[in-house]
Amino acid sequence: MMKTMTKPVSFFLILCLLSMGFALGRAQAAMVGTETVLNSKVQQTERARVNAFLERPRVQAILEAQGISPAEARARIACLSDSEVAGLAATVDQLPAGGSAVGALIGAGVLIFIVLLITDLLGLTHVFPFVYHSR
Amino acid sequence: MPVLAFCFFLAGCAGPQLAQIREQMGTAPSRVELKGVPLFPQEAQQCGAAALAMVLQWSGLPTTPEALVPEVYSPALKGSLQPAIVGAARRSGRVAYPISGTKALLQEVAAGHPVIVLVNLGLSWYPKWHYAVVTGYDLSEGFVVLHSGKIEPEYLPFRVFQNTWARSHRWGLLVLGPGDPPVTAGETAYLAAVLGLEKARRWHEAVKGYQTALQQWPGSLPALMGLGNSFYALRELPRAANAFQEAARFHPASGAAFNNLAQVLWEEGRREKALAAAQKAVALGGPLADTYRKTLKEIQSGTP
Repeated sequence: MMKTMTKPVSFFLILCLLSMGFALGRAQAAMVGTETVLNSKVQQTERARVNAFLERPRVQAILEAQGISPAEARARIACLSDSEVAGLAATVDQLPAGGSAVGALIGAGVLIFIVLLITDLLGLTHVFPFVYHSR
Repeated sequence: MPVLAFCFFLAGCAGPQLAQIREQMGTAPSRVELKGVPLFPQEAQQCGAAALAMVLQWSGLPTTPEALVPEVYSPALKGSLQPAIVGAARRSGRVAYPISGTKALLQEVAAGHPVIVLVNLGLSWYPKWHYAVVTGYDLSEGFVVLHSGKIEPEYLPFRVFQNTWARSHRWGLLVLGPGDPPVTAGETAYLAAVLGLEKARRWHEAVKGYQTALQQWPGSLPALMGLGNSFYALRELPRAANAFQEAARFHPASGAAFNNLAQVLWEEGRREKALAAAQKAVALGGPLADTYRKTLKEIQSGTP
């Protein structure tokens, strides 16, 4: 009995190991990504690439702090290239934080209205729909 | 009196600028108004989603601003960041190609491509950021046509548009099907835009994008590598092998081309040819030599 079982079992084991090896081979496939080739063309340094890699979690945390779910934040970053993530990381903190500045300016509302009205009339801004711009 | 002088100064700035643009545009039509770009009236704070929906729909993808809000909107900022718009376009399988400057904007519109623009309608210290879509212009009358969240197109004087657009450093975004290249496209910038489709795992569109690039820049190494990598991701191994073979033929000094070719041939079961390609990659060496050696070792050591 024991002996008759051994063959199919070992055969099964060999198959398992083979398919494992196959799966491993695929997972480890040492392919060079398009981004690496493209970046070597624009001569991005290794350092910049490492930085971008490190920036991804940081940018993700910032996006989450903006009220975006972790899964969505991850998805938004996933479709950006390394250089785009680096660019985002460099600017995301400096973006105008809507709210605080506006709140501080509410007291000066009338003054701002007048300033924007003048700049609208001059064609420097385009805030009020009722201002007619000559061509 | 100083105010009046200031006005003259501004008029002096705006006038020649338009003349300059007219000169730069050369033989391009002086008046363009694109048809087929829908108008989505804009909900509060959702100009990003509205602008993207307009160009996506123009590109042949039925969608609505509401459907795009979850992909572009940042609640705490009460608005949408530019990279979110870029990413959402890619997730929809479209090439997102940023442009900068008036000449590129008008050239693209003249070529029939609507352009998303980021403008600051207010002032630097009192910003009113807004996304709109440029769908036309008139150089003799001096205005641009904007789909700007209202029910009707807006005809904005060129000089006002320039003032509000300058505050975003004249950032514009093309959202195009992968078979429709920008007329102002540069090779590296366009390939970076197609790479975004790979990042978003839109492999079929990436394939199409790289093929489009190859029509414009035959033999481009990153385009051939991208084509091969996208076919590889789709598990279309013979086509991937073809692309890498082309890359190796056009760029016999590229180890990366031979390395990827070796990997694909190996997975196809063509061990002898795989081995030769891997040895070639290792012989070429370079900064990625470690990867090449790993590929060679794997091929030498067993079955795929």
